[in-house]
Amino acid sequence: MSSDTILIIGGGPAGLEAARLIGDLGQRAVVVEKRDALGGTPIYEHYAALTHNFRDAEEAMNELIAAAKANPTVDIRLSSEVVSCSGAAGDFRVKLAKSGNPAAGANGGAGVAGEEINAGAIIVATGFQHFDPGRETQMYGYYEYDDVITLADAERMLKENKFVTPSKGTPPQRVCFIQCVGSRDRQIGNEYCSKVCCGISSKQAIEIRQQVPDCKVFIFYIDMRMYGYWENEIYWPAQEKYRVQYVKGIITEIIRKGDRLVVRGEDTTMGRPMEVPMDVVVLAVGMEPSRGTKDVAKILGLKQNKYNFIEVPHGGLDPTATSVPGIFVAGAAAGPKDLDDTMAMAGAAAMKAAALTRKLQISNFKFQNSNFKTQTPA
Amino acid sequence: MGLFADKYPDVAYQEKERLWEQVKADPRYPSYLYGCYECGICVAACPSARFYDFSPRKIAQAAAREDIDLIYEQMNDDVWNCSQCFSCNRCPRQNSPGGVITILREVAVKNGLKSAKQALEGYSRIIYKIMGTGTQVSPDMLQPDAFPDWGPQVREVSADLELWRRALPPETLHTTSTGWQVDDKTIIELYLIWHNTGVMDMIAEVDEGLHMILNDVMEEKLEEAGYEV
Repeated sequence: MSSDTILIIGGGPAGLEAARLIGDLGQRAVVVEKRDALGGTPIYEHYAALTHNFRDAEEAMNELIAAAKANPTVDIRLSSEVVSCSGAAGDFRVKLAKSGNPAAGANGGAGVAGEEINAGAIIVATGFQHFDPGRETQMYGYYEYDDVITLADAERMLKENKFVTPSKGTPPQRVCFIQCVGSRDRQIGNEYCSKVCCGISSKQAIEIRQQVPDCKVFIFYIDMRMYGYWENEIYWPAQEKYRVQYVKGIITEIIRKGDRLVVRGEDTTMGRPMEVPMDVVVLAVGMEPSRGTKDVAKILGLKQNKYNFIEVPHGGLDPTATSVPGIFVAGAAAGPKDLDDTMAMAGAAAMKAAALTRKLQISNFKFQNSNFKTQTPA
Repeated sequence: MGLFADKYPDVAYQEKERLWEQVKADPRYPSYLYGCYECGICVAACPSARFYDFSPRKIAQAAAREDIDLIYEQMNDDVWNCSQCFSCNRCPRQNSPGGVITILREVAVKNGLKSAKQALEGYSRIIYKIMGTGTQVSPDMLQPDAFPDWGPQVREVSADLELWRRALPPETLHTTSTGWQVDDKTIIELYLIWHNTGVMDMIAEVDEGLHMILNDVMEEKLEEAGYEV
């Protein structure tokens, strides 16, 4: 007998959206979340406003969380993780355990140690983590200088409406962003573009100019990748309305001069080397597969690509199918994604999973009642 | 403070900033510069860029970045290399680097920058002609030896200039001291425009001598027509 339960691993934007939609179909969804709270990276990393529509991230995530929680056919297991998986499409048997997350347990509780879920299909929505700038091959000194921060650090300050020079606690006069930190880099091994950092840096640049109007903001970039409406919704306003200065040329080194930082690079379009003082340097760190994505891929036996994201073998026309039939992927677990793509992918994965479990139930029903052999999906 | 070494460190930053504020205050400025992709289409279209170390892109960039030192440098060294043809207006962001240059030049002239005076020195004779007579270069400027690069026929033509001009069908061209005959009413209107729009003040800033001569010429005609200067 095949199960109509759909197991969703990850309680971030993709997992919550998939759960909500499966619930809306009247089908059972179980969301397994390693942390003790839902909302994924936008909540965990204290995002301020969403790119590209500037909506308050916490408010938007709370809406998703509320929709999933309110759904009577959606069950949520916090502080829980998947430890083993057997079976095949229609009849996966997945064991859960209390997660090793130190923060877990406090208000988790819903997870039952040793629980086994019988699922007809699985959606992996385990997301990404920010690149650790300690691994960058330039000389940015993230762990050396207080005033060198990442996009995530900047989000946290912007969320509190208190963007300051960390070492001084006062509003900065000059801030710069360095793009493509940990992305598009053969030295590091991350040859891909992380897709969202150009937009997020530009969004943050606007927010800094709004919060600290006297502050000059520079963005040092290789290419600005502002596809579709990000162009006119973020990039142009940043340049034209907020006078953010975009300079094509990547900083090679950050040094300290007195109590200020100095960034060294080339202004390539002006054809001149530059050495510019900055109060705060924001590293636009890219996306890497989260620990959860890497662990879950191993446990479920999913093929990973060379960057350890979950491989999507049928690419363009079937972006949610993994190498294992019956297991689907949504969001940044399959590679860098913006929120729009993540949500669309979550909807597609929910649809594929629901369709598969229903098809399997119908074919089992026919099989049991007619002795006709029906083909199980490959 | 800009991104680069300052080429004019002796000029106070506040002075550079004052000039830049004048540029930004020009009502045309917001529609001449939005933001710059640094794509270079303006340079590709620019005839001056083929002959000089000149880049309309860098003008747009410096302005977009509000790099005050660099703008001051350009206001002195670059803007006079532009031929004001506005081929750069094909910008996908709808910028007009040539328009920004127009404003930069006007601010340079209005503030009597030394570089502006030098750049315009060679033009005083032409300005005198245009503003004095209301017409452009006149036939009698075609002296036998003035433009050897125009070829040997110049000598031939200049010898009998009056006759040649009378051979031209429109009667208004039967003149050698002006490009064409200018109606008194027209010249008076031109003089009034130049006085009332600040052009005469600009001339005074860059070339005092020229301003004096022009003023004399204009004063006489204007007074004849009943206007007080």
